[in-house]
Amino acid sequence: MLTIKNLHASIEEDGTEILKGLDLTVNAGEVHAIMGPNGSGKSTLASVLAGREDYEVTEGSIDFDGEDLLEMETDERAREGLFLAFQYPVELPGVSMSNFLKQAVNSVREHRGEEPLSAGDFLKLMKEKAALVHLDPSLKTRSVNEGFSGGEKKRNEIFQLAMLDPKLAILDETDSGLDIDALRIVADGVNDLRGEDRAFVVITHYQRLLDYIVPDFVHVLVDGKIVMSGGKELALELEEKGYDWIKADTGQAV
Amino acid sequence: MQIEQKLLNEINARLERQDANGGNGWASTRRLAAGAFKDMGLPTRRSEAYKYTPVAKRFTDNLSLENEAGTVQATRALEQLDGIHLSTTNGLLDSVPAHLPSGLTISSLVDAYQGNRVFVNDHLSRAFVAERDAFSSLAAAAAEDGILIHVAANTAVDQTIVIHHDNVSSSGLVQPRLLVVADKGASVQIIEHFGHAGASSAFENRIAEMMVADGGSIDHVLIFERSEEATFVNGLHVYQEGSSHYATNTITLGGGMVRNNLHFLPDGEECETHLNGLYIARGSQHIDNHTFVDHAKPNCESNELFKGIVADTATGVFNGKILVRQDSQKINAYQSSKSILLDRSASIYAKPELEIYADDVRCSHGATTGELDEDALFYLRARGIPAEKARLLLLEAFARDVVDLIKEGSVRDYLYARLHAILEAHAS
Ligand SMILES: Nc1ncnc2c1ncn2[C@@H]1O[C@H](COP(=O)(O)OP(=O)(O)OP(=O)(O)O)[C@@H](O)[C@H]1O
Ligand SMILES: [Mg+2]
Repeated sequence: MLTIKNLHASIEEDGTEILKGLDLTVNAGEVHAIMGPNGSGKSTLASVLAGREDYEVTEGSIDFDGEDLLEMETDERAREGLFLAFQYPVELPGVSMSNFLKQAVNSVREHRGEEPLSAGDFLKLMKEKAALVHLDPSLKTRSVNEGFSGGEKKRNEIFQLAMLDPKLAILDETDSGLDIDALRIVADGVNDLRGEDRAFVVITHYQRLLDYIVPDFVHVLVDGKIVMSGGKELALELEEKGYDWIKADTGQAV
Repeated sequence: MQIEQKLLNEINARLERQDANGGNGWASTRRLAAGAFKDMGLPTRRSEAYKYTPVAKRFTDNLSLENEAGTVQATRALEQLDGIHLSTTNGLLDSVPAHLPSGLTISSLVDAYQGNRVFVNDHLSRAFVAERDAFSSLAAAAAEDGILIHVAANTAVDQTIVIHHDNVSSSGLVQPRLLVVADKGASVQIIEHFGHAGASSAFENRIAEMMVADGGSIDHVLIFERSEEATFVNGLHVYQEGSSHYATNTITLGGGMVRNNLHFLPDGEECETHLNGLYIARGSQHIDNHTFVDHAKPNCESNELFKGIVADTATGVFNGKILVRQDSQKINAYQSSKSILLDRSASIYAKPELEIYADDVRCSHGATTGELDEDALFYLRARGIPAEKARLLLLEAFARDVVDLIKEGSVRDYLYARLHAILEAHAS
């Protein structure tokens, strides 16, 4: 589904290279966890995948379901089925949740050659998906993320994920800032959305999330590269030992 | 011959004609205003208050009070609104409505003057200082007539008064006068609509005075949608007695050059003043909002929110002056102005001007000018919404913020639709 080869990306503004030859292959149905120290480039990878213009890809390729992802605009990527749950969801004062979601859902549907949802069906879908992450129904009448608590913002990301039904979902630290109950709710929501046709890339600092969302693979991102990959037990090892031993093993500066 | 002198000659000729016809005292108020205008003259490039808005330039030599060119009918809106609908030609009533709720008077200003000189004289020029505002003085000098809306004490007019400024000269100067008086404990809502009037290139220079007595309330909305040929100087002068409430929402979507001179004098304690405005300037439009709140008495609150979107080669100007006089303690005055520039060729000049002489006050002001928020745009696009639609969503949200402060739902809906139509063209 997603094949990243030798990806190099720099900050557009000053040319600083953040991703320095990253390789990653994700197949349909799989869940990949990406861990790594602060500032190693995890969010940058997520941003580059989503098409953020602050970064320039200087080398390498990204294939998404047989298409060149780098040739697509941000909104095209989303309509093609790539979803990014933001580490820091953006507040949109004056843009109501329902209007926002209606436009998002219908843009995706139109792209798939489907009719726009009727008002009734749309409300039904909203209700069903909000329940998945226990999102208070009254939030739907509010402006997107405005005044939402940290936890509500994160649950709102998973709610949107469920509404948009993507092929590939990238969760950037969706667990940070969640209390233990909310963590379980979010994880249950994600598990509910797991399926043969859908893949997940879960960026996290904590092994705890991976107790709930059990990954097929765990990768360690250090200084813009994936330096080690393994099964779910790698997460446990990292939790125990930190990142220093990897630095020593791979000769990477952390 | 200077344009000022030419206009004064025209005004004097008219006043003499009126005197010769038996005259009426109305002429004397006009003579006073004419004298003030004569002393001031039109603002020049050097006058600070008009630095960015050379509206005097629009006083071309052939501009005249004598409009023989006929009138143009403006596009009507807000008809479905359940209210008292008035229509005007050059700012004067086409007809006086037959059935009005008790306590509400609507009439020609001159008729009212002849009927009760003391009343009109007592309420004219409460907030308006002729020596300080050349445009309003000129309008007051030239106004052959105007409109009076008077709400008697303790009367709550529950139907909104909608003034459709339907007919306007196809060219020339149009200078009407409007006086609104809410007596003690009275309340009224007034909506003025200046619809799109095709090729009319009229220069509408109006003076509007609103006076709210103790415990009274006036809610005012003005929507200006004339064409790019049109010039508008909107002199609004508000006078408030104690414990009164006044709110205006000035929505400027049209006009080639527009200057809103909005003056507020809360001259009693416990007054509430809300001044909100929105403008969208596109093409080569020039829209200027100059506001002045004169906190002359303690224990009052003013809230000000102005927003603008400026595109193409258009210009937006905002100047918000708040004066808190020395003995006006316990004033809460909030001001916020926000504007979005859509094109590099567009310009915005925004300036808050706080003059505070009292020490126990809470004042805040913030002015931001920028482009659309890139993070917000990215977030919307990351959900599949195409770039143009995402921009439109954000622009509409920005502008609706002001419209949302309007009480009347059907007016909000009308403006939402207008904003959508106008902004759609600027979201790509
Ligand atoms: N737009 C930008 N401008 C400047 N520096 C940037 C930008 N984006 C990323 N960086 C820098 O690139 C590095 C990688 O940042 P990134 O956000 O990808 O790290 P991360 O692995 O997600 O870290 P964390 O675990 O703290 O979220 C950091 O040093 C960061 O400051
Ligand atoms: Mg990060």
